[in-house]
Amino acid sequence: MHAVTTSDELIDRSGRLRTPWVPVMEAFRAIGQEEMSRRAAALNRQVRLAAPFGAVTSHHYDPLPAPLTASEFAVLEAGVRQRAHLLNVLLEDLYGPQTILHENLLPPALVLGKPHFIRAMRTRRPLLGPRLALYAADLIRGPDGKFLVLQDYTGIIPGLGHALTLRRLAATTIPELFRAGGLRSLRPAREMLVDHLQRGAENGLIAVLSAGASSLAYAPDMMDDALLARALGALLIEPGDVAARNGALHIKTLSGLLHIATMIRGLSGIELDPLEQGGRPGAGIAGAFGAIRAGVLTMLNTPGSALIEDPDFAPLLEPVFQRLVGEAPLLAPAFGDPLLLASKAPFVNGAGLSSIPLSFRLYAWHDGAGWQVLPGGLAFALDAKSGPAAMKDIWVLDADEPQFYAGAAAVEPPERLPFLPAAHLPSRVADNLFWLGRSAERLEAAARLLMLALPRLESGTSLPRDVAERALIARCLAQARLIPAELASGAMSGKFLRQTLARRKPFAGLVKEVARLLNAASERLSPSMLATVQLALDQVEDALVPNEETALPAILGFAATFAGIAAENMSRDGGWLFLEMGRRLERGEILAETLAILLDAAPDRLEPGLALGIELADSVLSYDLRHAGILAPAPVLAMILADTGNPRSLNFQCTALRWSLERLGADDDAESARLLQTEAVSLAGRVTELATPLATIAARLRMLSDRVQRRFFTLLPEAHQLEDEEIISPP
Amino acid sequence: MIYRLHHATSYDYAEPVVLGTHFMHLMPRERPGQFIRESQLAITPAPELRRDETDHFGNVTTTVSLTLPHRQFVVALSATVDVAQPAPPRADFSPCWEEISNAALRRAEIAEFALPSPLATPTAEILALATEFFPSGEPIIAGLIALNRKIFQLMTYRGGVTNTATTAAQVVKGRVGVCQDYAHLMIAVLRAIGLPARYVSGYLRTLPIEGVEKRRGADQSHAWCSAWAGDAIGWVDFDPTNNLLVHDEHVTLAWGRDFQDVSPLRGIILGGGRHTLRVNVDLDPVLT
Repeated sequence: MHAVTTSDELIDRSGRLRTPWVPVMEAFRAIGQEEMSRRAAALNRQVRLAAPFGAVTSHHYDPLPAPLTASEFAVLEAGVRQRAHLLNVLLEDLYGPQTILHENLLPPALVLGKPHFIRAMRTRRPLLGPRLALYAADLIRGPDGKFLVLQDYTGIIPGLGHALTLRRLAATTIPELFRAGGLRSLRPAREMLVDHLQRGAENGLIAVLSAGASSLAYAPDMMDDALLARALGALLIEPGDVAARNGALHIKTLSGLLHIATMIRGLSGIELDPLEQGGRPGAGIAGAFGAIRAGVLTMLNTPGSALIEDPDFAPLLEPVFQRLVGEAPLLAPAFGDPLLLASKAPFVNGAGLSSIPLSFRLYAWHDGAGWQVLPGGLAFALDAKSGPAAMKDIWVLDADEPQFYAGAAAVEPPERLPFLPAAHLPSRVADNLFWLGRSAERLEAAARLLMLALPRLESGTSLPRDVAERALIARCLAQARLIPAELASGAMSGKFLRQTLARRKPFAGLVKEVARLLNAASERLSPSMLATVQLALDQVEDALVPNEETALPAILGFAATFAGIAAENMSRDGGWLFLEMGRRLERGEILAETLAILLDAAPDRLEPGLALGIELADSVLSYDLRHAGILAPAPVLAMILADTGNPRSLNFQCTALRWSLERLGADDDAESARLLQTEAVSLAGRVTELATPLATIAARLRMLSDRVQRRFFTLLPEAHQLEDEEIISPP
Repeated sequence: MIYRLHHATSYDYAEPVVLGTHFMHLMPRERPGQFIRESQLAITPAPELRRDETDHFGNVTTTVSLTLPHRQFVVALSATVDVAQPAPPRADFSPCWEEISNAALRRAEIAEFALPSPLATPTAEILALATEFFPSGEPIIAGLIALNRKIFQLMTYRGGVTNTATTAAQVVKGRVGVCQDYAHLMIAVLRAIGLPARYVSGYLRTLPIEGVEKRRGADQSHAWCSAWAGDAIGWVDFDPTNNLLVHDEHVTLAWGRDFQDVSPLRGIILGGGRHTLRVNVDLDPVLT
């Protein structure tokens, strides 16, 4: 036996650089070692930002691609296409007539003993679509240069989201790499996939089913799910978003239940349907199996399709393929240690390049007529012992003129997927955005109050005006839950406030809540918005560590950043409306509650409260400009209660609420907001007995908030399992 | 023997159920020795959607969806069934058990019943029982009859001790339970030596004969074990709860690897609060 020598992607046997690598290595040399490491880090930062930041990926991107020539890809394409076809025929047989088992071409006990053989998916007639509609394979280039199959993916298709995203990010981070021509674009392929999905879905929705941030279910890569949903313009959903009605699946959205026609599955098929398989209702989708069998739901891939990706089958498939389609497989399975077989390619590391064995993952989908193979994919370093596996973009380089991509003929000009309007917003997302608006506003209001309180509490004079002012501030601090209510008095000192803050750390709690909701709502924020907001929030978290007091400027900085992003970077769609309503309800409620305290005095004692009120409403400057600094009740109240041009007035909050509610078609709630507007304006005209009506306004805002929640977030009771536990019993 | 079968299950909810989806194995299937003359499954309130399908095992399943608020849910089966299981051959003429277990794994429609399933997986203790009743060369029917008797003797029949998730491994330790536990234990014993066995859910006729002990499980849903005895003999049913060979007093509803495959009635409901369950079964011979 000869010692096996692996081949090298970069250099051929005569020691020359292979053609497709020439422009890549030229660019690498031009960029330089150190700069390349920096770019690699930047690329990976971009990826993290491109996904919800709760999602942790188990991979990291290598900036150098894995280039293939057009003829190499043609070989792979033919092999993958054939294999996908064969595997689908096999699945259709195993979940149908089981000829292969009756003829003992596969051992029946092997197939039927696998947990991924999901009996509920066995049907007499074929399903609406092929059981295998998305496919991926890991291949290696063996010592003789032939490609071998390392692993099939027929259930969950890992990495497709990354594969459709990586190049777009790399092109902006390392543009030098992309100067050489001939790189085959992924875009036509992706658009054809989207068109195919949309044709299949007709008027229903297309969704990517992910485990969800709070789930304990097995979910290989939630970031991948999120990237895939974005790349395909599909909804990203969790089992909890889905409800079965009349045998079909629907997503709970703001405008009620909308039919889901196609679901790309990021969850295991085992325990997917608690109705038929048992298990906790919340973890799966009750009725999913029945919907698939009845042809009212297409799932990519059908539950149970992961059966044949089991490595036990790979060595047994050749005679099966011969029997089912009369063809010998073009791609042979890899036997032996892939590390010793696979070709090597350079990966960027801190010190330069290292040559590591790699696998190529190619993706294919069934477009209704036949199998299409993505002219790209992901290449993985095979030596990853621990930590994230390095992943490369696969390039297909055309030598000459651009190639035309052949596929199913478009039946009609593909309709562009409209930007999902408010109606399609999942209730869960709206709920999170609403509370994000509230909690961000609560954080800001608490910081403003503290900024105002600290210097005033420091001046320890016993003048009656100062004592009165301190008492008012203390009541406001207690109202905001920054100090315990029993300690709110004119005897409150700055030192005591500092000690309380140090002990209770109220801001750490508020910031944590903002971070949690930001994470939960991150799928509705763009990568750049997330990056900016996250940076500001990181600064707050860092600043909070030594001392909550010194973090106040950072908190106000975050609040300004967040408000600016919401105002300037978000389109006024459903998601923004909920963020806006949350913010306006919280600001209005806090303002009304605070003013109820500050203005709880006889007309001749109103001055300290008016001064604090106008300062809390951040309106000192405008007031001074308009009224030359002379504090009088009527103009102050007009400015903080009635002024429609002051974004911190009570009327402004109510007006904004009314507008949002009208846009969402909640006419009765909009009417409530209109009445609150009128009330705020009329209150500005009185000088006495303001406390009670202001407290009433705060209470009515709370009621409006409850109604918004009930109306839009449809808090259905949690589903539970009804099992016939007593049916079999002794007489 | 011809039977008229009525089986009504009703759930009464303390609070209205706003949405109910139910998946049932409640329509009797046909099999060699069982002919369904007529059968109907009535659902109250009338469901907005109903699907009757045949599952992987050939059982009839019914899925219903109720989308209007309701406080009661009733499933009523009425059927006329003709039953005559052929008597198995004399024990000493049946093939030896090794022949059966060797053939089983190569047969597509048999193999899965020889493999472990969630509720009927062999353990060392269960294997010990198997080797006791199936010494080398033992004719399959002789071993099955002896094992059926052994489980009947070994176990104490008592309700409320076990539940629908109790495994054969737990049963062999506790040695107490109801018919489904008897069946799971017998199935697991057979699987321990590669013999195919399946779980059968159905009904058992009551014999109101003076002075004869009333059979347990009578006029109730019942469950027993079916064992494969090779191509020539086929499947033979044993009722270890009553130490009976199934002949013409058992009506088969459905079968699977264990209870989980044929759970008579599963549901996911929204609302409902606490519920009370009532079950009525009548199995009466039709005089011809």
